[in-house]
Amino acid sequence: MPFVLVVAVIAIGTVLAPSARAADPAKVLHIIFPAAETGFDPARVSDTYSATVDEAIFDRLYTYDYLARPAKIVPMTAESMPEISDHGRTYVIHLKHGIYFTPDPAFGGKPRELTAADYVYTFERFADPANHSPWAFLVQDRFVGLDGEVDKAKKTGKFDYDARIPGIEALDRYTLRFELKRPDYLLLYTLAHTSFGAVAREVVEKYGNDIEAHPVGTGPYMLAQWRRAAKIVLVANPHYRHEVWDFRSSGEAWDAAVIAAMKGKTIPQIGKVEISIVEESQSAWLAFERGELDLLAVPATFRAQALDAGNHLLPKWASQGVTLYRMVLPSITYVALDFRDPLLGGFSKEKIALRRAIIMGYDIGDDIRVLRKGQAVQAQMPIPEGVVGFDPAWRNVNQYDPELANELLDYFGYRKGPDGYRRLPDGKPLTLRMATGTTAIDRESDELWKRSMDAIGLRMVFEQGKFSDHLKAARACQLMMWGQAWSADYPDGDDFMQLLYGPNTGQSNNGCYESKSFDSMYEKSRELPPDSPERERLYLDMTRQAEVDGAWSLDVSPISNVVIRPWVLGYKRHPILNAWFVYMDVLPHH
Amino acid sequence: MGGYIVRRLWQMIPTMLGVVLLVFVLFNWVGGDPAYVLAGKISSHEQIENIRRQLGIDQPYYVQLGIFLKQIVTANFGSSWSTNEKVSHILLTRLGPSLTVLVPLLILGTLISIGLALAVAYVRGSLTDRMVMIVCTVGLSISILVYIIVFQYVFAYKLGWFPVQGWGDSFWQNLVVYASLPILIALAVSIAPDLRLYRTFVLDEINQDYVRTARAKGVSENRVIWVHVLRNASIPIITYLMSGLPGLLLGSFLIERFFSIPGIGREVILAVERSDFPVIKAITVYVAFATIFTNLLADLTYKAVDPRVQLK
Repeated sequence: MPFVLVVAVIAIGTVLAPSARAADPAKVLHIIFPAAETGFDPARVSDTYSATVDEAIFDRLYTYDYLARPAKIVPMTAESMPEISDHGRTYVIHLKHGIYFTPDPAFGGKPRELTAADYVYTFERFADPANHSPWAFLVQDRFVGLDGEVDKAKKTGKFDYDARIPGIEALDRYTLRFELKRPDYLLLYTLAHTSFGAVAREVVEKYGNDIEAHPVGTGPYMLAQWRRAAKIVLVANPHYRHEVWDFRSSGEAWDAAVIAAMKGKTIPQIGKVEISIVEESQSAWLAFERGELDLLAVPATFRAQALDAGNHLLPKWASQGVTLYRMVLPSITYVALDFRDPLLGGFSKEKIALRRAIIMGYDIGDDIRVLRKGQAVQAQMPIPEGVVGFDPAWRNVNQYDPELANELLDYFGYRKGPDGYRRLPDGKPLTLRMATGTTAIDRESDELWKRSMDAIGLRMVFEQGKFSDHLKAARACQLMMWGQAWSADYPDGDDFMQLLYGPNTGQSNNGCYESKSFDSMYEKSRELPPDSPERERLYLDMTRQAEVDGAWSLDVSPISNVVIRPWVLGYKRHPILNAWFVYMDVLPHH
Repeated sequence: MGGYIVRRLWQMIPTMLGVVLLVFVLFNWVGGDPAYVLAGKISSHEQIENIRRQLGIDQPYYVQLGIFLKQIVTANFGSSWSTNEKVSHILLTRLGPSLTVLVPLLILGTLISIGLALAVAYVRGSLTDRMVMIVCTVGLSISILVYIIVFQYVFAYKLGWFPVQGWGDSFWQNLVVYASLPILIALAVSIAPDLRLYRTFVLDEINQDYVRTARAKGVSENRVIWVHVLRNASIPIITYLMSGLPGLLLGSFLIERFFSIPGIGREVILAVERSDFPVIKAITVYVAFATIFTNLLADLTYKAVDPRVQLK
């Protein structure tokens, strides 16, 4: 046999042979998703649970440090942080060598190395109109030449993946270059976004519309079994590259035990992750109590079975070695007030007074106590805890103060009629209309709003409907008031501030708030690096502007309580990453 | 008989057209616009229009209705809008788990209810009869949700006789391990109303002249009850059973949700939550077909049970 052939055979064998460091198949983690997944094509899914599985299977260029808070971006398949030039317009990234996709028939039995071209293809898939990707907004109007190809695809019905796009280019096998239309320091967050893991073109083309069921990546896990909406089994990728758990403490006391349990171990440690879809909270909680689950985010209705009034674990659990991890989630709930509504909208003084009175009239304390069972904190600014731009010392000017709200309404001529409800300054009827859902918590929330508004003499009615109908109406600026929630897609204040940016009306700015002052500050902030103090100052000024205009009735950031069995090691909830089991271990147990 | 079947099948067409129209109007009226959900958190008007175009919901209503009819004729409902899974695959894979619970439930429930109905009817008016009726009345006044929560807590969690939830890969494991408690709950829920109803059917027959005649001629009591009475009472029982069959398939969604059984009932709820019209359309149409067929089957069974019945 010629020498070259021998070397080739050995090389292929080495690549395909399971690594000696492979995770122990006997280590099994049992967890649940509280809602069904939809599929595993990263470009098409947006629900948290499908994305969690994708996160474990597909590798991004960058990811987040497991322990660092606030979240810190670190290389994943990139060799180092990107070389950024031209004031944030050009990014050059070098890939690590020797990263391989898990074997699949699409590769014809040959090892398939990850290359820069795979990321070019991956990014282009998000722009391809045929994929109607929910993440298309992260690539559109961003990369030089991409929008032109999208326009062509809309006309021809086919995206040309072979066309050269100057904004997303593979310079060689291991070098990528992104060229942006304008300075954009937030691109790093897109490069670390959990949906932007590399896919192989051969796999996508082989499986076509069934790609949802064939996730083939280079990540630490592979999909071993999928019974739709019932069970997902992930097994450790035996060919996964050598990665060692080596994260540093963020200073939180919790980190010490995590580091002690995990430092120096190879990633991943858990051989099998069994995920059951359990939609009913009683079933989930009883399964945890029976030891059928290894960890669980305590359902709100079962909080009293896990925690005492001070939010500490009940002695029953502590004595079993169960631990509790509490964290304020990087998300907010708020009620958007429609600025184009003829009754509520606009920037005249009496309209601003009406909106601020509504905000000050809502009993946020009761909201946290009654609706959230104490498992939330008041959101003081649009940027939640754990996200760049959050200021723990910030206090919203519109605090709960029904007396002041009443005075404000009196001062601006909103007089009470014989029925006890206020009328507009011109004497016309005044009725607030709130869009709402049909769940039990929606009804409780409606009751609290009604009680709060009655206390300041404002009549309120509720219009029940489906989420998609409300969204459609809100995008058309036709919902006077609507309670919404937003979770961080990336740990930067921009993700939240864009919800108030005027030109995003009809896309994500569902209150149709269009303030010239806010918009000009937001545009300036987009040109500044994330660690710039000037940008942080701008975020505070933008926050104040939205407060004095009465743009939102800011509500809460929820708290997550996760109970963890003693044999589970290394758990720490990350504000962005959801596939935390990649960084964990389980001990043998009965 | 052949002519009767052909006539009944012919009559299905207007019924099915009515169902199709109703589903179509309801979905377009209250179903919500799925494009807004599929488009993700941030989407432009153009993106939403692109999705509407791809789903075909930007077409005039008569075109969409025509596509719906074609799907019924070809039995091809395409793919789910939210998961891209073929609708036919959804139905095939979800039917098995539902039937694993429903078939044993139907057999056990029917046998137990009929047996008990005959027994209490035989001792009608006695203390036993009255006690059973009181228990049945109380039983059927309690919501299925209460049965599920209590049984899951007591039998799965406290006593540990069954798993709290789950579904496996083997039929026997599913039947014996995972489906047992759901079947037990469904039996507890269904036996009370069935028993009361069947008792009434049996009592109607017990008081007939032919029963008195049979007894006068010295026919044994066992034969009177199990052969003569049961045979005549079985006609309304068959009607009741058959009419309830298709509904059972969808009606078990609560049990399927609580016990994480990947069945049809749970799929319907998911499809409605996601405004997944292809799945809703397919299930509605097949359930309508099933209802019509089971009614036809019931009529044919009458003839087999009672030769006096004339099919016209």
